[in-house]
Amino acid sequence: MPIPVPDGKQLVLQTEDWVEYRTGFPTLVRKFLFRKVPPTGWFHTLGSSLLTVFIIQAVTGSLLAMSYNPSPNGAYESIRYITDQETLGWLIRGMHKWGASMMVILLFLHMGRVFFYGAYKYPREMTWLTGSLIFILTMAMGLTGYLLVWDERAYWASVVAVNINGTAPVLGPFISKFLLGGPVFGAQTISRFYALHMLMIPGLIGALIFVHLWLVVKLGVTPWPSRPVPDEAAGD
Amino acid sequence: MADDGTTRGQFLSLSTVGIGAAIGGVIGVPATAYILAPVTNEAQFQPVFLGKVDQFTSEQGFDPTAATYVEDPDNPATSPGLAWVHSTGKSNPDWTAADAMFVVFSNRCMHLGCPVQATSQGFQCPCHGGAYNTVGQRIAGPPIRPLDRFQWVIKNSDELWITQRWSVDFNGDGKVLYFPVKMPGQPVAPPGPSIVADVLYPNVTYDHGAVPQAK
Repeated sequence: MPIPVPDGKQLVLQTEDWVEYRTGFPTLVRKFLFRKVPPTGWFHTLGSSLLTVFIIQAVTGSLLAMSYNPSPNGAYESIRYITDQETLGWLIRGMHKWGASMMVILLFLHMGRVFFYGAYKYPREMTWLTGSLIFILTMAMGLTGYLLVWDERAYWASVVAVNINGTAPVLGPFISKFLLGGPVFGAQTISRFYALHMLMIPGLIGALIFVHLWLVVKLGVTPWPSRPVPDEAAGD
Repeated sequence: MADDGTTRGQFLSLSTVGIGAAIGGVIGVPATAYILAPVTNEAQFQPVFLGKVDQFTSEQGFDPTAATYVEDPDNPATSPGLAWVHSTGKSNPDWTAADAMFVVFSNRCMHLGCPVQATSQGFQCPCHGGAYNTVGQRIAGPPIRPLDRFQWVIKNSDELWITQRWSVDFNGDGKVLYFPVKMPGQPVAPPGPSIVADVLYPNVTYDHGAVPQAK
């Protein structure tokens, strides 16, 4: 008697069961991806576009970090090396640079969509708040990343940015020394910005994206805002 | 075991919270101190040689000579400084005197710290359009106070050194008033009682000596 050979479909289902019993991931993925959503439009794609750009930034940033040298004498040269010498270095750096601008633009559009749909209202206040934190941290990414190019514009723009913080009453000089890592612009400034840019802030953004998505899944996608039809308002 | 009102479960929960807090403190306290430590670092102004006196004395009209220096010898690549040396045509080597031979301006714009350029009219900032006259007083744009000046001294009869940075303002008669250094964008003498002003706009913590008086 021949040994029964499972067909392809069975094999997939058995594999899925095997994973399901041990991790529960298939259920998790199904609940995450196969949700009921109200009628949506292109405006609802802005959030996932942002997630895509963030992933692009994380991947290209990690690649750039392999050749970047965060020191006053080495930073500019290493950027030139990445751009001019490395295979596809110009492309990876270009994606990171343009992706940074795209992320800020998409963030404003996404925020605008949420605002005009009234999607920040009950019960989604925490989604709005975590999104706002991601917004602030994205701005911090822009600030810290700008210095790393280490050309004249990067240097003076960062001097101006630090001094803008320095003009704050009471805490001004302390904030500026905190950012610089000392009383003057130094080697510690560029490595400080580098650590913030590639370790701390991305980690925080990643964690907040997780919370943000959790809330989106838990609370559901906001439907189109609509005025109650008079009959409905009357309880008809 | 005596009944003291605490169950085993309560004790263990409390211990878990306590130990967790202790572990958090062991990591968090040094990390916070480490990242905030630079806030207490004091800037030191190192006296620095700008050039021979005769490099600066051939000035015609208002045409200050640029002199570069390094503000922090430990970070030469990141702390380049530039002083504008204006030769007044007079000969008094006392830098606070009204007829002092030099006025040494800092090139740091008092709006947000960009480098100002000397022109025949005074100084001009490329970043946001700040403009100063030939004594460093703001004449246009966003800067809120005059350019800082350097205390200078002539050593070995022909070497021009700068020895300290001072923030500057002018009284009604156009006399120069010196102040401990503040951040660009902060007023040296804000209105109101000075104690409030000092809290609102703390000095950059240069270790400076007595504040000089212009003669």
